[in-house]
Amino acid sequence: MASRGSLVLLVISLAWPGAAAAQSASRSKLEGMWSDPPVTIMARFCASWCTDAGIERLNALLDNPANDSRPVAQLSAEASVFQLDTYIKGRLTPGALASFPLDPADDPGLLRCEPWGLARQIFAPHQLEIRRLGPDRMELHYGEWDARRTVYMDGRKPGAGQAPSRLGHSNGRWEGDTLVVETSGIAANLTIWRSRHSDRLRVVERFTRADDGAMLLLTATLEDPSTLREPVVVKRNWRWAPTSIIAAYDECKPPIAVKKGVEP
Amino acid sequence: MSAAKIVSCAVCALLLYAATAAAHHAFSPVYDSKRSTTVSGIVVEFRFANPHAMLTLDVKDDTGKVTKWTVEFAGQLNLSEIGWTKESLKPGEQITITGNPTHVVSHQMAFVRIVKADGTVLLPAAAQRTDILEQERRERARRRTQSP
Repeated sequence: MASRGSLVLLVISLAWPGAAAAQSASRSKLEGMWSDPPVTIMARFCASWCTDAGIERLNALLDNPANDSRPVAQLSAEASVFQLDTYIKGRLTPGALASFPLDPADDPGLLRCEPWGLARQIFAPHQLEIRRLGPDRMELHYGEWDARRTVYMDGRKPGAGQAPSRLGHSNGRWEGDTLVVETSGIAANLTIWRSRHSDRLRVVERFTRADDGAMLLLTATLEDPSTLREPVVVKRNWRWAPTSIIAAYDECKPPIAVKKGVEP
Repeated sequence: MSAAKIVSCAVCALLLYAATAAAHHAFSPVYDSKRSTTVSGIVVEFRFANPHAMLTLDVKDDTGKVTKWTVEFAGQLNLSEIGWTKESLKPGEQITITGNPTHVVSHQMAFVRIVKADGTVLLPAAAQRTDILEQERRERARRRTQSP
């Protein structure tokens, strides 16, 4: 049975006015350009990452008349904190909790313009272009960092002795209209919620196009016996954006100075 | 050019998240969201780039001394979503810009609001979305009160 979160995302997609234009696109194919989701409360909440716990919390806040005078941004921020404190934090091992959350002033992406690892990149905002590169592989191309991943569709294993890498080794398969991508061999790095993960991290992504064809939904399951007590399930969404263009990503400059201890 | 107007406020209702929610990193270690600064000046250069667009602005004070300000924006990926182009700010253009200053370095800020000479107001993507989201919330509340 679909969770309430899934239903919410489906409702978001059905409510988007551009849906009709996208209906001609094949439901069975995900190839093409996707970008930031439409401007609805739930779609924006899940524009980068969200959880069912966060969606439930945001719905509860919106349904409470006592919150009618509070800005949506404030309610969304409260739901974000809730999903971090209750869902994410509760799944971190004591070792991972010790360094959670990483001070944003220590973010290597900020300090050294170091591109993100897989557990952040797949939740990066903005575009995702899905392309078939041949019968045996697909490419996932992200706007943020201009990052590209190859997804092997022929089940090949990584080369013997291959060291863990920033984006890991990805194998894909189709389950009906759903693209399932399993990734391992990911070098220890950070998650999108600023916890550390080990090179034992394994990520399963399930990409589906919503029924109207205008939305792409991702459900990602992260497992890491070193830093997670149990799997973490995270969602996000994009809208069909065939005219969107991924621009060059080549002017990153480290800041002159940073201040520690300031939460985003 | 008019004298530079530099105003700092201790409590600022302009939320930095609005400018940076989609940035590739948090702005909070660099910029102080609790303060805002407003300056008027002449655009020297606008780099419509990733991960962050950057603006250089010549700001003249009451004595005629010119100071170069640097303004950091969300990236081209983010700004394109709301219709910005590399032509959105042109060299030689007079603007008044409000932003969050850095914690430690002067003459640099994160973009919150620009008012052009003709009165046109430019806002970050998230600020532009606010009205739409609030309208959705009001509609949701209206349906709730009308439901049996």
